Amino acid sequence: MIKITDLEKYYRTEEVETIALNKLSIEVKEGEFVAVMGPSGCGKSTLLNILGLLDDPDGGSFVFNGIEVAGFNERKRADLRKKNIGFVFQSFNLIDELTVFENVELPLIYNNVKAADRKKRVEEVLDNLKIMHRRNHYPQQLSGGQQQRVAVARAVVNNPKLILADEPTGNLDSSNGNEVMQLLTELNEKGTTIVMVTHSEHDARYSHRIIRMLDGHSVTENILI
Amino acid sequence: MIKNFFKVAFRNLLRNKGFSFINISGLAIGMASAVLIMLWIQNETSYDQFHEKKDRIYEAWNKAEFSGKLQCWNTTPKILARSMEKDIPEIERSVRVNWPSNFLFSIGDKRLTVKGNIVDTGFLQMFSFPLVKGDPKTALNDGSSIVLTQTLAKKIFGEEDAMGKIIKIDNKDNFTVTGIAKDLPNNTRFNFEYLIPWNYLVRTGGDDSSWGNNSTRTYALLKPGVSIDAANGKLKSIKYQYTKDNDDKKWEMFLYPASRWRLYSNFTNGKEDGGLIDFVKLFAVIALFILLIACINFMNLSTARSEKRAKEVGIRKVVGAQKQSLVSQFIGESVFLAFIAGIFAIIIVQLALPAFGELTDKKLFVDYTDYKFWIYAIGFVFFTGIMAGSYPAFFLSSFNPSKVLKGTFKSANALITPRKLLVVLQFTFAIILIICTTIVKQQIDHARDRESGYAKDNLVYHYLTGDLEKNYELVKDELLSSGIAKSVTKTSAPLTQGWSDSWGFNWEGKPADDKTDFDRYVADENLGATAGLTFIKGRDFDLKKFPTDSSAMIINESAAKVMNFKDPIGQIVKDDDRPYHIVGLIKDFILQSPYYPTKPMIIEGAKNGWFSVMHIKLNGANNTADNLKRMEVIFKKYNTEYPFDCKFVDLEYAAKFKTEERTGTLAAIFAALTIFISCLGLFGLATYMAENRIKEIGVRKVLGASVTGITTLLSKDFLKLVMISFVIASPVAWWMMHQWLQDYPYRVAIQWQVFAFAGLLTFFISLLTVSYQSIKAAIANPVKSLRTE
Ligand SMILES: Nc1ncnc2c1ncn2[C@@H]1O[C@H](COP(=O)(O)OP(=O)(O)O)[C@@H](O)[C@H]1O
Ligand SMILES: [Mg+2]
Repeated sequence: MIKITDLEKYYRTEEVETIALNKLSIEVKEGEFVAVMGPSGCGKSTLLNILGLLDDPDGGSFVFNGIEVAGFNERKRADLRKKNIGFVFQSFNLIDELTVFENVELPLIYNNVKAADRKKRVEEVLDNLKIMHRRNHYPQQLSGGQQQRVAVARAVVNNPKLILADEPTGNLDSSNGNEVMQLLTELNEKGTTIVMVTHSEHDARYSHRIIRMLDGHSVTENILI
Repeated sequence: MIKNFFKVAFRNLLRNKGFSFINISGLAIGMASAVLIMLWIQNETSYDQFHEKKDRIYEAWNKAEFSGKLQCWNTTPKILARSMEKDIPEIERSVRVNWPSNFLFSIGDKRLTVKGNIVDTGFLQMFSFPLVKGDPKTALNDGSSIVLTQTLAKKIFGEEDAMGKIIKIDNKDNFTVTGIAKDLPNNTRFNFEYLIPWNYLVRTGGDDSSWGNNSTRTYALLKPGVSIDAANGKLKSIKYQYTKDNDDKKWEMFLYPASRWRLYSNFTNGKEDGGLIDFVKLFAVIALFILLIACINFMNLSTARSEKRAKEVGIRKVVGAQKQSLVSQFIGESVFLAFIAGIFAIIIVQLALPAFGELTDKKLFVDYTDYKFWIYAIGFVFFTGIMAGSYPAFFLSSFNPSKVLKGTFKSANALITPRKLLVVLQFTFAIILIICTTIVKQQIDHARDRESGYAKDNLVYHYLTGDLEKNYELVKDELLSSGIAKSVTKTSAPLTQGWSDSWGFNWEGKPADDKTDFDRYVADENLGATAGLTFIKGRDFDLKKFPTDSSAMIINESAAKVMNFKDPIGQIVKDDDRPYHIVGLIKDFILQSPYYPTKPMIIEGAKNGWFSVMHIKLNGANNTADNLKRMEVIFKKYNTEYPFDCKFVDLEYAAKFKTEERTGTLAAIFAALTIFISCLGLFGLATYMAENRIKEIGVRKVLGASVTGITTLLSKDFLKLVMISFVIASPVAWWMMHQWLQDYPYRVAIQWQVFAFAGLLTFFISLLTVSYQSIKAAIANPVKSLRTE
């Protein structure tokens, strides 16, 4: 599903140039659950942003579902993204002005799903994730674990083929964290491909394979299954 | 999707009440000002455009050369209309409009003077002034018919039906009401309350067939589809077909279309030159600018708030929003805001209309029943919303989600470059307006303080209406003997107006090529005493002591200079061939415009006989109201039929400043509005900046920075912008005022102090505005600001 070869990404500021990704090559197969680990600043988030088509690489190739997407313009990326990819962030990133229901509904709106279908889908997902009773609350009225469940709900509501999670448990205590990991595992078992960045060896053990990164390189891969 | 946008927009609005308030009030004020100005423009540009046949209606004008310059004017010979109809096949019909001096109407024992027109019978068929009663085709056919407006009919006859009623005019002729016209709209040059047929002039000997007497307006209706150039070609030299008159003036006539009467009919040397259209354009620009300034607030505050909105943008993009849909979302939000502001703007407009009407001397109103108004209103809301929202929309929607969501995105400084530009633009405009206001005011004061050359206090005048001319001596004697008046003089015109001028004077030693134009005035006696003139040499007219003073003359200093007499007293000056001997030399006084140098002036004695006004110097020892009351009794006694209508010279003199005062007031209002809206925006920006830098301020305070130090730090960026604005505004304002002052030969010099004043004023107002937030941020307890994370 994902095949990147010699991927490069630089950040230039006035004084310095940072090499965030340095000829990184990775492959992720459909249905896999991959964890990405490595010290802070090694380029994990950068990698995820590129995989999620939020950012364009500066060099190398990125084949997504058999299509070369490096060099796609913003419009094409947005189109591909909204149909195929769901995101979960460490800091949840819910829109404060929208309710739980409205937040989860958002991807469906941008995918032009009809209102009646939207309602059905959102309720289904909220039900699955056991946050139905909070549907009319605003994000600030929820605990961190609940907020992250809403974020997961939003990521999956559109049935994406790929879910990208950037330290999804980073802001949660261990019991809430385990719940979220449980959710991701279930999704994976239903066939969704997952790439997850994490600092926690414990969480990484939920995955099939761990990619360890250092200074923009992939250094080792541990296959867990 | 739209619903979702509005939800966010509305919740945003409520969550950020302060900013919503600034945005909405700024926009509402800006929109209201623009709407008021547009109402005025709409009125000015629609003058006489409601006539069904407007495209075929023309007015006849003259063009002739005087002292080397082509002059154009629109009073024409009475004979022109019929001659035009006869000789020019393109003309379907021609209608004359004359304006009698205000007629006295008598109905039973009711008396009133009313303004109206004497017109050819086709008037109501040419112009669309609909009749509510009567037939426009026939209403003016009979020589003794009269058409009244609804208001006048009601004033005279109350609720009774006026049709068929009799009105006696000037105590002589009876007229029968044959039509009731709708009141005139507020956008026509015509200004009548009644119409009577031309035949009345013929009967009373007021008609003539002289080609030399330009005394009426002549309108022409072209046949459909004919060429105006062809008509004008034939009209050009029509005068010379009927007269042998070979004045070398190159006298021409031409037809001038209705579409240009109001806005363009200002001729310089025979060509259209500016006119009201210049004002219309200027005000259109001002309206646009005020709106722009209000929109700039919105732009600045929206983009300053970007840090808050950035997260939303990022998330929307992550879940699949295209840039384009975000752009529409943000523009939608600003249209929504403009819509709310629009509602407030309508309220403001409604409240301000009476005052604005007074200022512009017009009855303006908004016709809420007209669907077109609502179409324009909605269009205007969209225009404003898009103008205000487009820059923020593109700014906000271009955020890169991978940056904003990671939290590396920080708009630490509320003053990024485009925002600075916009603030500079606002304040440049504000400072220009302040400078202009100040200079306009100085110019008015300058002219007002100018020595008028005569004593205006307790001086009144009355037109010699009805029997006053006949009974003048009786009235005068009674006014003097009863102690009401100190001095009474009969004159040719009010002292505040010159009605006559001429270059046809002759005196000994006049150079052959001298064409100096003199103001010509006539007085019987005691003018010096009545008007309080200053005599340099000689004396006042005094018919009792010197009966020959009826052919005496008084001249002013400027005249003496032109005539180049060593001693003017005793010299003979001929007006055409009537000789006058000079008995007095007076200091110049302002007869006409206080903005122009006084002209050479001659005052002729009673022999001239052109009397139409009496001036009365009231006895200042009495109460003015008493004086007037007793005067009225005397006037009523000798002029029974006509109303007593006494005018104060000082009030009339003050009216000479009206146009300039209006310009000044308008400039002041625009200046105040601009400053207010701009400061509103500045306040918002300062608030954001203080919020954004709260942590920085905390750290600085912990490290020992003082409150003053921090206030200065936070305020100085803003004040720098105000200073840049000042540097840009000063030369622009100087140039504008320099141009404006060219119209006034008697004018103030532009002083640097005005610029200093405008700069300092703006500086302090903006200092107050930003320092409030800066001080608030500076005195906050740093422990609080550093705890938040
Ligand atoms: N927007 C940016 N501008 C400049 N440098 C950046 C930016 N984003 C990331 N970096 C740099 O790129 C490197 C990789 O960052 P990141 O992918 O966020 O690391 P990780 O997620 O593994 O902690 C870091 O050195 C970081 O400082
Ligand atoms: Mg990271």
